[in-house]
Amino acid sequence: MEILPVIGLTLQIALVATIIDVPFAVGLSWLIIKKRVPGSFVLDIFMSLPLAVPPVVVGYLLLMLLGRNGPLGGIIQNVFGADVTFTWVAAAIAAAIVSFPLMARTIMVSMRGVDPVLERSARSLGAGPWRVLFTITVPLAYRGILAGILLGFVRAMSEFGATIVVAGNIPGRTQTLPLAIFSRVQLGDDDMALRLVAVSVGLAALTLALHNWLLERSQGNTEAR
Amino acid sequence: MTSPIVDFHVIKEYSNFTLDCQASFESGVTAIFGASGSGKSTLLNCIAGMIHPDQGYIDFKGKRLFSSESGEHLPPEKRRFGYVFQDSALFPHMDVKGNLMYGFNLTPEPLRKIGPEKVADLLQLSGLMNRRVDNLSGGERQRVALARALATSPDLLLLDEPLASLDGGFRGVIIEYLNRIRRELDTPIIYVSHSVSEVMALADQMLVLKQGRPVTYGNVSNSLVHPGLAEIADYATLENLLEAEVMVVQGSDGLAELKIGDATLFAPETKRGPGEKVMVSIRAGDVILADEIPPRMSARNIVKSTVREIHVLGSRVLIYADIGTQVIVEITQASLTDLGLKVGEDIYLIIKTNSVVVLDAPR
Repeated sequence: MEILPVIGLTLQIALVATIIDVPFAVGLSWLIIKKRVPGSFVLDIFMSLPLAVPPVVVGYLLLMLLGRNGPLGGIIQNVFGADVTFTWVAAAIAAAIVSFPLMARTIMVSMRGVDPVLERSARSLGAGPWRVLFTITVPLAYRGILAGILLGFVRAMSEFGATIVVAGNIPGRTQTLPLAIFSRVQLGDDDMALRLVAVSVGLAALTLALHNWLLERSQGNTEAR
Repeated sequence: MTSPIVDFHVIKEYSNFTLDCQASFESGVTAIFGASGSGKSTLLNCIAGMIHPDQGYIDFKGKRLFSSESGEHLPPEKRRFGYVFQDSALFPHMDVKGNLMYGFNLTPEPLRKIGPEKVADLLQLSGLMNRRVDNLSGGERQRVALARALATSPDLLLLDEPLASLDGGFRGVIIEYLNRIRRELDTPIIYVSHSVSEVMALADQMLVLKQGRPVTYGNVSNSLVHPGLAEIADYATLENLLEAEVMVVQGSDGLAELKIGDATLFAPETKRGPGEKVMVSIRAGDVILADEIPPRMSARNIVKSTVREIHVLGSRVLIYADIGTQVIVEITQASLTDLGLKVGEDIYLIIKTNSVVVLDAPR
């Protein structure tokens, strides 16, 4: 078995999952922390659920939703003429949902750290809510936002439970690092399993190191103010 | 009587406090005065559009900004009011120039009455333009905040205790600049404060708030002695914040000489040069009244003045004395009886050199 294609597929799926998550994570954090829209409390719980329920539950719900007979799956079938389940796209969607709470919650913390007086100040200077978000809130929270994105990415790379249910474990198509390790362990191929584990740990450690470095600098930044 | 600048009635309920205030502000500088928790900042935020009142209306120069009845609420960015916060709220990710240009760039061209150069000149910021905001002094930060608000050519300037977090010297400097803004721009100002002395130095009218309700509104000198103020105002620390001009930096006796109103007063020292303006603080309780010049004494400043008003507030008596500018003197009721003071009479003010405090922090 070749390791490189597995790494490639894992990065591809995690990257797409992260790209799907970012606008939602920034947008929802803004709605909950800064706009305090009605229902923020419920929204916060709802978007954090994937963190609390077993990933296999997320996978199963997705399978029902995206399957050929599911409400979304039927539409996709009609529009694209293809089944999304058991493809890398399904794996990316599963990873996106499971990693979303980690990303969003980190971004929420960093946005809470931006002094509302600065945002009110910008409003009084003529900036509308959107301009305030992109010229004040995001630039001042950007290290925390980047840290949240990396945390989401690292979680997406290690996603297993939801993925195996909705995307299966198809070598070359949906088999990411964690799934490949699982297969090798089952086959008793300890040598390959350990090599994959080493890669997995290395990638995670690298991403986490970057995450911690960003977070530390972001805290230093708030203290200096 | 001029037409009102801001006319409003706002009701805002919180769990432990209700703001219910109706008033019409005229042009010039209006102070909203009250103890902390009196609702003065809440009221300012309602006018600015940051807080949505539960009930009522807010009009600016006849234009409706808010009405609970019709559901109108003009968002703060459309009101064109400059807002200066107590802790200046400068954007930490921009330099001084970036802060200054933020609002200016958002101001539609036809509405730009004052450019960034003029603002920087008015507040003497040209040397600071490329500085990071986190290594500015408190006074400099507040000047940048003022400049940033003025650069949007605001129709109204809202100041929320802009001097509260500054030490003495810088306070005087910011008062100088505020007086400058008052003189050179005709922007009406609403000024929130809990210091009677600041209100006296800066405002034309004052609204006094107590537990969310208006106590009195009117001309500052009259409102100051309103009975409703007695328990809120810090009369004990009441100081006269007066504009002075440096005549002599260091005379033969080592003292500085300052022109205040028509009088020349000695002060221990000043860092300003001759001809320069500076703010001076004289505590109302530090001034002694005498009906003739004592033959020999240590105090260096003896100034002839005319008594304009006498106000008895319980055991305290406030005398408004005229030396070409108004000086408030606080004495006891017993002293008033002894001196037999009457309005219109002349009286000597005796002030120790050390009681003339020059607020000359570097600009």
